[in-house]
Amino acid sequence: MNHTIHFTVNGEPYTLAVASHHTLLRVLREQLVLTGTKNGCEAGECGACAVLIRWPDAERFEPVNSCLVLAPEADGAEIITVEGLAQDSRLDPLQEAFLATGATQCGFCTPGILINARALLDRNPDPTEGEIREALVGNLCRCTGYIRIIDAVKQAARPGKEVA
Amino acid sequence: MQPFDYIIPKDHAEASALLAAGNGAVRPLQGGTDLLIRARGGFIRPKQVVDLKHLPGMREIRPGDDGWLVIGAACTMNQVAAHPLVQQHYDLLVQACNSVASYQLRNRATVGGNICNASPAADTAPALYCLDAVAEVYGPAGTRHIPIADFFVGPGRTALQRGEFLTAIHLPPAPAAARGVFNKLGRTKAGDISIVSVAVWIRLPDPQSPIPDVRIALGAVGPTPLRAPAAEAALAQDASPAGIRRAARLAAEAAQPIDDIRASAAYRRAMVEVLTRRGIETLLEQLATPSPATGGSPTLPAGREPGGAA
Amino acid sequence: MMKQESVIRRQEAGVRSQATDTRSTDLPVSRSTNKHSLIGASPQRIEGRAKVTGAATYVDDMQFGPNLLYGALKRSPIPHGIIKRMDVSKARALPGVRVVITGQDFPGYTGLYLKDRRIFALDRVRFVGEPVAAVAADTPEIAEQALELIEVEYEPLPGVFDPEFGASPEAPLVHPDLGHYECVPFIFPQPGTNISNWFKVRKGNLEQGWAEADLIYEHKYRVPHVQHVPIETHVCVAQQDVNGKITLWSASQSPFAQRNLIAKALNIGHSQLRVITPYVGGGFGSKAGVSMEGAAVALAMHAKGRPVKLRMSREEEFHTTFVRQGMVAHIKMGMTRDGRITAMQNRFYWDGGAYTEYGVNITRAAGYSGSGPYYVPNIHVDSFCVYTNHPVGGPMRGFGMAEMHFGIEQHIDQMALQLGLDPVQVRLKNCLKEGQETLTGMIMHPTGLSQCIQKAAEAIGWTSPPAPPLAGEGSRTSPSLAGKGAGGLGDFAEKGVKGSGASRHKRRGKGLAAMWKAPAMPPNPGSSAVVRLNEDGTATVSIGGVDLGQGALTAMAQLAAEGLGIKIEDVRVNTVDTDYSPYEWQTVASRLTWSMGNAVLMAAEDAKHKILQTVAEAWGEDINDLDIIDGQVVSYKSEESVPLKDIVVYGMQRPDGTWVGGPVVGQGRFMPEYVTPLDPETGQGPRAVVHFTTGCQAVEVEVDDETGQVQVLKIVSAYDVGRAINPEMVRTQMEGGAVQGMSTALLEGLILHEGTPKNPNFTDYRIATAVDAPLETENIIVEVPQDDGPFGARGIGEHPMVPTAPAIANAVYNAVGVRIDSLPITAEKVWQALHRQA
Repeated sequence: MNHTIHFTVNGEPYTLAVASHHTLLRVLREQLVLTGTKNGCEAGECGACAVLIRWPDAERFEPVNSCLVLAPEADGAEIITVEGLAQDSRLDPLQEAFLATGATQCGFCTPGILINARALLDRNPDPTEGEIREALVGNLCRCTGYIRIIDAVKQAARPGKEVA
Repeated sequence: MQPFDYIIPKDHAEASALLAAGNGAVRPLQGGTDLLIRARGGFIRPKQVVDLKHLPGMREIRPGDDGWLVIGAACTMNQVAAHPLVQQHYDLLVQACNSVASYQLRNRATVGGNICNASPAADTAPALYCLDAVAEVYGPAGTRHIPIADFFVGPGRTALQRGEFLTAIHLPPAPAAARGVFNKLGRTKAGDISIVSVAVWIRLPDPQSPIPDVRIALGAVGPTPLRAPAAEAALAQDASPAGIRRAARLAAEAAQPIDDIRASAAYRRAMVEVLTRRGIETLLEQLATPSPATGGSPTLPAGREPGGAA
Repeated sequence: MMKQESVIRRQEAGVRSQATDTRSTDLPVSRSTNKHSLIGASPQRIEGRAKVTGAATYVDDMQFGPNLLYGALKRSPIPHGIIKRMDVSKARALPGVRVVITGQDFPGYTGLYLKDRRIFALDRVRFVGEPVAAVAADTPEIAEQALELIEVEYEPLPGVFDPEFGASPEAPLVHPDLGHYECVPFIFPQPGTNISNWFKVRKGNLEQGWAEADLIYEHKYRVPHVQHVPIETHVCVAQQDVNGKITLWSASQSPFAQRNLIAKALNIGHSQLRVITPYVGGGFGSKAGVSMEGAAVALAMHAKGRPVKLRMSREEEFHTTFVRQGMVAHIKMGMTRDGRITAMQNRFYWDGGAYTEYGVNITRAAGYSGSGPYYVPNIHVDSFCVYTNHPVGGPMRGFGMAEMHFGIEQHIDQMALQLGLDPVQVRLKNCLKEGQETLTGMIMHPTGLSQCIQKAAEAIGWTSPPAPPLAGEGSRTSPSLAGKGAGGLGDFAEKGVKGSGASRHKRRGKGLAAMWKAPAMPPNPGSSAVVRLNEDGTATVSIGGVDLGQGALTAMAQLAAEGLGIKIEDVRVNTVDTDYSPYEWQTVASRLTWSMGNAVLMAAEDAKHKILQTVAEAWGEDINDLDIIDGQVVSYKSEESVPLKDIVVYGMQRPDGTWVGGPVVGQGRFMPEYVTPLDPETGQGPRAVVHFTTGCQAVEVEVDDETGQVQVLKIVSAYDVGRAINPEMVRTQMEGGAVQGMSTALLEGLILHEGTPKNPNFTDYRIATAVDAPLETENIIVEVPQDDGPFGARGIGEHPMVPTAPAIANAVYNAVGVRIDSLPITAEKVWQALHRQA
């Protein structure tokens, strides 16, 4: 069964016919060809598919695993994917910090981590290291060992300060 | 994932009728964190998925009658944990919600879904057992209320009858002098399914009710979450260090753990004892600290009776 | 022609784009000299911007249009059995199904070292998850339905689920035809058994070694199967064009090896198969060689020109591509009372699984490294690769070394402590030094192993000798220490067992482990590179190695820029397309920086030489007076200069008006030419391997003595990398490897029950998360140059996870006095051991 949904992705409005059983992840990747959002487990465990979503009645954007959202559920929502973090060609401070600290290696987990870290800084602009670690517990990274990712989030939260 | 229809029912009656007609091939959807994983893995083959969260009240947290709090079944864990009334009166539930999986998963996972899956390891369950929560259920016969301990029937089985679905969780008024602590043990330091979880809740004695109220609930150590009444009674009698140890041992005896790939029964039983003791100790330390809420530092009876072996 | 007024002088040109070095807490970066301004600097990852914006394209991101078919594999549900009957007719009849193929369609054998397997099982299945048939359909949903319509009837056979049992005469045979399989000359299968390779070392006089020893200790250690867990699962797309040529887009560490193996298996020419590898989302060995790609190509050959995508689900990834082999190690060691190792006798039983793509060579590597990084005059090693009805063992970061060192490095500690010696001093006394003979008779090259051990011990605050742990005592921490670190870190030390009752039960300990590892590979794996100059004076570098995240593209850009004399910003490095990229054996064995780096440097220098030749002729100067600095050819003699962009494509005009030069293409290649065969009976030979990277890790842990939970507080890594081309990336390898090692040490293991995996998912196969990562890391670079490495570099990719597990095990012992001799070191195991001790 197909549903017609209206939603906004990275500020662009779309009207799409989506299958009932397709996930938001699949719609983003296959119908909109926004392939920055990655498929790592389809079980809500790895966080590679995280996107920011603002539900029709919600005040703010919150991160969700897009593999666990059915496409028709996204009707009326606003979505930000990793492609929407940079404004024009100016990178988000988190993206800059990831480059500066060496927080990305293979890069496959990076989009989901950036999304989740962005959400963290939006709700808590100066998080402790413990809060950063806890916020990222649902994003698996196999390359970096997380330390530089944590440093990058600290650096983006407190630009100009030395990263210890 | 095999195709299915997605339906937003227009009211409770339609939702109930759809679920009743489907006989297992129609599945209720709240957060989807369990449903979609099981559908993708082929463990269930829904023909229709009924999205319940748009029904009135499902995503609301509101004061009920007589000081009760009503949490809509489709409220997300983050929504519950961040709600001022929950934070003020039911910190135990906040702790339990925040221990589940990850922040972004808790933006989808619902408290209702957590108990409808009826996993013995459901992390909100021990808190809800301690808080004496009541499940509100809608079905062909209308609305009925089920105490939380009766809602869980067995692993993956609830008291829900055909055509019924959970609409809300009701929490009785929380006494000011009550506190709770939730501890869980996982393989990773956070975000894991519990190997063992223990909630301890204590209301200190006061002039109106001179006997303290102690509640201890255990997760992942039985076919359903469990209360440990003998441990509760023992601690109410004696909260000395020896009494605490005795209560922890009794809690371990109340557990009915099994071996599985996460841990052995023996380890689980031993950890019930450790987590119970630590939970009580933490709680008593907190309760000993004067706070505006308690207005003093009343204590449990401690050491007046020899509470078993020292 | 183009004379400039002001000449660029060498000294000025030495100041180039200052590389950013974001971490100043570690060792001082060996600052660049004028000559090597880019070597030892740490420019940012050249593909970093693409990765942080979501623009980097991985295989699953590539677009193939609505014609794309979705492949899926029908898999065996049983570990061992005969295929009695298979009926695919119902699947074929399902609308939307375009291809159904089975083992009958592709009966040929394939294999990297030992040809023991087919793309699909033909008559017998040997592990749960083995492919028996494949479908391609218009949608993933139809493909899934088609799989269910394939009927297969099996006759179960008794299985082999333990490598020691598998090596015994009582075990049923997993491969009755072992004696008929084709095999490379350095692998020794034992027909009539389940042993696919038996590597032997016989050196010195064992009896004499035992006689000299004051203490002889024997113990058995066990390591489970673990999985690599790249966040990108295996995925590929295959398509056949009208001329029969096949293109394979593959998330691979080995595009050329895939081309080679698949072309041979399908009996097609190498130029008829093209493998394209864009960015790869992690590999750690799992994407080396061929696992599921053959099936995609097979499907494409029947798909009438339509592209076919095959993508592994996370569940499939866990047990049907490759796993790290399980292993049982029997270690016997003799030591004098002053800590000198007199003898070792080690037997390794590798659980190779149902087929052996790499397992036989892991067995060999463990054999020729089987002493650990120590001088052992008298030693026997027997390393057996054993067929079992378990998932297929493949290469994983460390290539057998993490498994082997788990036992050896605990054994050393155990013996040192029994003798009342300091484990650090015992390691320093025995560790291999330049000029000593290794267990295979090779003379050890210059190595910084002693330095690594000293520096790691110092950085962890090693006190010598450490207080022997006593039951019920040990170094308890005061509650205030649990809150160590700023910003609520204490929350995490306490997580899971928080509360005042917990902190009284935290006990700290320190442990350390050393390691060595050689690139494990055939004697002659080759690298090649091409450096092309563009009209604007920039350079395009073509390589056949893959950047899996380790930073190969950036390191190669640094080497090319350095070799040419241009800025790193002016270098582009291509990802792999076997039709256009020069040959590279495989991205394995931590060999790219060293081997491919040599080829790239040579190609850059070749291009530079060609450019200077042209300029010398045009200007009538001696080539030795010319150089390229910052993209300009300069003459130290005439002080003339010319920008590369004016000359590298169009050439230059001679004084007489004619032209010289033309488009500049430099080429380079590298292949080690000095590795010798080893005697099959003794394992002895002058040069077993190209070199060994050595190092040491030291850790501090906190153990909860009631729950058994282990929190790693700090990991110090110190490795001799020869020369760090990009020190920051070297440190990120050390750090990431250490955490991966920690994760396998504490959490990981595939749970197999009679061959059936019980935890093929992230829910029950937990890997370390951000809250499990150590609170602190320190990464120390030691540089004792490699004689044949580019600027002295040798590899560091795999080594950082090799010593982590034994270092943690030693630290747990130091904290609470229990020795955990099997992985993972779960809380429950520590708790059990503490109970036994009490």
